[in-house]
Amino acid sequence: MSESKEPKDQTAGVSRRNLFHILGSAVPAAAVAVGAAGSLEAQHEHGGGSSESKSANQPFQRRVFDDHQWKTVQVLCDLIIPADESGPSASGAKVPEFIDDWIAFRTEQDGNQNFRGEMLGGLMWLDRESNKASGKDFVDAGEAAQKQLLDRIAYPKKTAKDDHPGMAFFSQFRSLTVSGYFSSKPGVAALPYLGNRAVAEWKGCDPKVWAIIEDRMKNGYKGILEAKPWVAS
Amino acid sequence: MAQVKANPKTYDVVIVGSGAGGGVAAHVLSLAGAKICMLEAGDWFDCTKDTKMFEWPYNVPHRGAGTREKSWGYFDATTVGGWQVPGEPYTNAPGSDWIWWRARMLGGRTNHYGRISLRMGPYDFKPYSRDGKGFDWPITYDDLAPYYDKAEGLIGVFGSHEGLENTPDGVFQPPPAPRGYERLIKAASDKLKIPCIPSRLAILTQPLNGRPACHYCAQCGRSCGVNANFNSPGVHIKPAMKTGNLEVRTGAMVREVLVGSDGLATGVAYVDKKTRKEVEVRGKIVVLAASCCETARIMLNSKSTRFPNGVANSTGLVGKYVMDTVGSAVSGFLPILQDLPPQNEDGVGGMHLYMPWWLYKEQKAGKMPFARGYHIELGGGRAIPGSGALGGYATRWLGGGYGVELKQNLRKLYGCEVHFSGRGEMIPNEDSYCEIDPNVVDQWGIPVLRFHFKWSQDEILQAKHMQETFKEILETMGGVVTDSYGGEDNWGIKRGGEIIHEVGATKMGDDPKTSVLNQYCQAWDVKNLFITDAAPFVSNADKNPTLTISALGWRTSEYIADQVKKMNVKV
Repeated sequence: MSESKEPKDQTAGVSRRNLFHILGSAVPAAAVAVGAAGSLEAQHEHGGGSSESKSANQPFQRRVFDDHQWKTVQVLCDLIIPADESGPSASGAKVPEFIDDWIAFRTEQDGNQNFRGEMLGGLMWLDRESNKASGKDFVDAGEAAQKQLLDRIAYPKKTAKDDHPGMAFFSQFRSLTVSGYFSSKPGVAALPYLGNRAVAEWKGCDPKVWAIIEDRMKNGYKGILEAKPWVAS
Repeated sequence: MAQVKANPKTYDVVIVGSGAGGGVAAHVLSLAGAKICMLEAGDWFDCTKDTKMFEWPYNVPHRGAGTREKSWGYFDATTVGGWQVPGEPYTNAPGSDWIWWRARMLGGRTNHYGRISLRMGPYDFKPYSRDGKGFDWPITYDDLAPYYDKAEGLIGVFGSHEGLENTPDGVFQPPPAPRGYERLIKAASDKLKIPCIPSRLAILTQPLNGRPACHYCAQCGRSCGVNANFNSPGVHIKPAMKTGNLEVRTGAMVREVLVGSDGLATGVAYVDKKTRKEVEVRGKIVVLAASCCETARIMLNSKSTRFPNGVANSTGLVGKYVMDTVGSAVSGFLPILQDLPPQNEDGVGGMHLYMPWWLYKEQKAGKMPFARGYHIELGGGRAIPGSGALGGYATRWLGGGYGVELKQNLRKLYGCEVHFSGRGEMIPNEDSYCEIDPNVVDQWGIPVLRFHFKWSQDEILQAKHMQETFKEILETMGGVVTDSYGGEDNWGIKRGGEIIHEVGATKMGDDPKTSVLNQYCQAWDVKNLFITDAAPFVSNADKNPTLTISALGWRTSEYIADQVKKMNVKV
């Protein structure tokens, strides 16, 4: 393949305004908010935004967690993903709501209580271990004690055998928190994911990014971080 | 039968199915002036009204996760259908594990498919002559080449002119420039002397016939709201309806082809799903394009005194030699892509580069342990985050952790995953076929299919070669294999039917004793019965079937129009 075969201006015959017009008229209003300015860029800014009201119109109702579990989940989620300059914390991105919904969904889809049991049982494991250590439930133990407990179960290779049930729970809970966060609106922005929008002219890989990749290729295909392949035993 | 609603009108052509095969027949024949009735078992579908384009996963139930009812998730364009269709079962013979994807909607599986559009090459039409396995087609590449030109010209395919062995170039729009990880994979492939070239997808990069070019949102699988990709309703059916010659009936579940005392087809009988009444529609010519196995089912269920084993089945070959594509995949992680400046890697709804089969010479020289080849499909990059996004990364790549450090590291790992999928040729065998299950009917009272299926060593060893090759490419890029398969898993070969490329079942040929159809996909036994889906296929080259369905269906449709003009077929 030769790079000279990159397409020229593909928009010939369909101007940016036309393209926007076609998109705007063809796509349901729920899927794309039509920017008042009528420009592609306006659409980028608002793309998909209007359908947010769909979930906003349906107030969230817990289907899995009771009040105590709910408080625990909030704290646990935010210990896993706190706020930083890239975006809000997990609870700020409504990850606890996502997890409650996800457990209910899985229970219904799987036709059994196994996953729900692992999640609720894991929360009880946290409380039991927290009480053993400090005489308090996890949610009341304070950040230092909470982190002490997490340090025992958050690093599978370093986890003591007796703590393996807690590790198994935490690994699953962390996966849910991470995917719930990065698939949320603020999580998408935190990554950031820059697509799901109309692009008038596709140019391929940004030359600046390709230059970095080429440089790394010369340097033995290494990235900045060392990969840490790890397989659960 | 008292419940049968007779319709006095006789159409020139009755077409069963509205996907790639039914669509192309409707398109060509309606423009030729034929009065057509098209029957679709599912509902009406208009992607310009029903698309989920630009919708965000966070605004839909469970971030778009797959469900029992919609295994490919909320966004899949298949509105009704999947591995199971409620009330329309199929069965497996003991020891078989076939799965069957059906789309009950206007346009059938053209709404869902990956738009990969590869021409079969000269070798692919004469595989038996080349290696002594399977069968030769009754036509050559040169017979079909003009129809590939026409099909590509109508549906719009991008690609590049490469001149590679048995990988014919076509009528191409310019290909989109590759993404970053694709350029990296190409560099590794160059090192390994595996050709890596622009893919060939039925997605417009330039406007065509009033359809705009792609806007690069990567979501073809959701259906395109502006018809910038090929789908039968937008590209075939709508223009055909504009001629005034095409009537489409939806919710029409075809039971059988009706045959007169002279042995010619007189039309079809279907169940109107709304009223649950049986309806007959009369046609001078019947075209079946219900999808390979569904077409065989209709034929086997069309029993009459003239055809006690099913219409046009004097050979007993209807349902035989069903093939799918060999599939096996490897996923990997590329540390070299960590923490790159963010960019939009959406592009078109599919790969921008792919690797066509490259070991023809080695195979010819007897140096390969299996017959036939495969191509490699690519995936990866900074894809739209939906259900499960980055879920297992913490344990898998970072040894665990939590807090700000975890969050920042996860952001650096986004976009490092790549996926390789092999898509290879299966050789037809005696153990892979479908027949009517004598004990089971669907909710419309129509007997269902029972499948028999087996891979041979050729396919399993091909999957082994895929696994080894994909690992080698990954390691050449300093990558780490995350998901792969060994001999204990039959090298990760997918289940029969899983790649959704089923072809065969009513093979065409030169000899009425050893084939169901002649080279124009016309039944030897019933000269006004034609098939335009993938059922006539004699082999299943690694070139995904849809483009060949389009080209072969076009050729068949022109033949029908020509024969009608000459009054050779008209009843």
